[in-house]
Amino acid sequence: MRNFRHLTWMLIAAIGLVFSTTQSNAQKRPDADEPGLVADDAYELEPEWQKQVVYFRTTEAPGTIIVVTAERHLYLVQGNGRAIRYGIGVGREGFTWQGLVNITQKKEWPDWTPPPEMIQRQPYLPRFMAGGPGNPLGARAMYLGTTVYRIHGTNRPDTIGTAVSSGCFRLVNRDVADLYDRVPVGTKVVIRQKPEL
Amino acid sequence: MMRTFRGGLLIGLAVAVLVAIGAIVYEFYDTRTLKRTVRRGEVLCGVNAGLPGFSIPDDKGNWTGFDVDFCRAVAAAIFDDPKKAKFVPLDANERFTELQKRKVDILSRNSTWSMARETTYDLYFPAVAYYDGQGFMLPVARKIDSALDLNGSKVCVQASTTTALNLADYFRANNMKYEEVKLPKLDDVVKAYADGKCDTLTADVSQLYALRLNMTKPLDHTILPDVVSKEPLAPVVRQRDDDWMMIVKWTLYAMINAEELGIDSKNIDEALKSKKPDVMRLVGTEGNYGEQLGLTKDWAVRIIRHVGNYGEMYERNVGSGSKLQIPRGMNQLWNAGGIQYAPPIR
Repeated sequence: MRNFRHLTWMLIAAIGLVFSTTQSNAQKRPDADEPGLVADDAYELEPEWQKQVVYFRTTEAPGTIIVVTAERHLYLVQGNGRAIRYGIGVGREGFTWQGLVNITQKKEWPDWTPPPEMIQRQPYLPRFMAGGPGNPLGARAMYLGTTVYRIHGTNRPDTIGTAVSSGCFRLVNRDVADLYDRVPVGTKVVIRQKPEL
Repeated sequence: MMRTFRGGLLIGLAVAVLVAIGAIVYEFYDTRTLKRTVRRGEVLCGVNAGLPGFSIPDDKGNWTGFDVDFCRAVAAAIFDDPKKAKFVPLDANERFTELQKRKVDILSRNSTWSMARETTYDLYFPAVAYYDGQGFMLPVARKIDSALDLNGSKVCVQASTTTALNLADYFRANNMKYEEVKLPKLDDVVKAYADGKCDTLTADVSQLYALRLNMTKPLDHTILPDVVSKEPLAPVVRQRDDDWMMIVKWTLYAMINAEELGIDSKNIDEALKSKKPDVMRLVGTEGNYGEQLGLTKDWAVRIIRHVGNYGEMYERNVGSGSKLQIPRGMNQLWNAGGIQYAPPIR
């Protein structure tokens, strides 16, 4: 009898454990990737994330891209103390990086092949998805050095200004197309992080 | 015997009265603001009576704004309590004389730092809190993003102001032509612009953002990133009051340094555990910088916990967290595209 009661409790505990794990997995699942959702091009960004020309003092040459992840802004240096500023979505915690890279490739309506490490984390993602309005990479992609990271568009304009990606920098399709036309392959990209405590 | 006793009593009384008078006189002439502030238990802040984003009371008398928050930061550094800041609205004409007369401890009231103001009123501007300057507002539909493209424009400007003089200087220096629409009152200048009587309106940038809010469709108007004059807004204190001046100055620099080091009101407890020397010096886990100011070791922690770092103060009041939506621009940190720069704490 005693053993039986013991077993019952263990069973309940086990069920509880399984249940809570699935629950927390569901919570952890980043909702930023939603393959198949067609981008809402009419989505209006908050003023802070709208493309605009701003005062920007830098020693970097005109044409350089500076990504400031803590601010969720991407600057395209114009010289003469100004830059074009775009609102971006950045990597979630643990998916932030910094350094100096170059744009190595440019693609319109890119196909999406999530890298193996991303599949491992998010097994529900497709192995391949052809380019188009439902593709999470959006209208354009600019490859950063030899990394798996890109500056790309999005089918989720509501994620601009947030930290949800796997390390890529996303812009709304309209903005990524604008940037794409302004920067050639070889463009220098500086990625800056908030300093660590 | 009795006589001597009475005489002694009288002498004692006279001494007591003299000491009391001495104390009163000393108190009256003691110009050290820090001492007076501590004794009073609150900081008296001279502020603008109503300037959205900088200092404005709501219907319950709660003040908000950039200038208000800066004064709260000073109170937090001294008393560990931002509520120990009391706000005294002052108009533009009386502000410097009221400070001189010691009616307030500090003026935190969108005042431009200039040489004449320091020399004429015997005052001191410890550090620039906000870089303002003259700019241009125009309809987005004009698709202009540089002031250098304004050649041949009709410009609305308030008559007989430095703004009008700066306008003339800027166009002359850049060899551009323009037509002035000069009106004596700012309201009329704005109306003329709204009615399309000119192509662009010029005023200080912070003011342009406030004026934009009153347009029928604010987002149909843009403010160019160009700033064509120097209007460094700074807190003000009295000269020869060095202890106090140091506190006001380093309160601002602590907030700017905190932002540069990545410390804000949300991660301040984490910062207290940091092993990075420059973080440790700011939060007081190393050195005695606070004590040397006449405050406590955790002076900067108090500021950041209660009010935040410079960026938080900016965004909440005039930036992305406010109606004004003024981009950081020149007020961004020196290593992030702007010119805000604080000497190091070491």
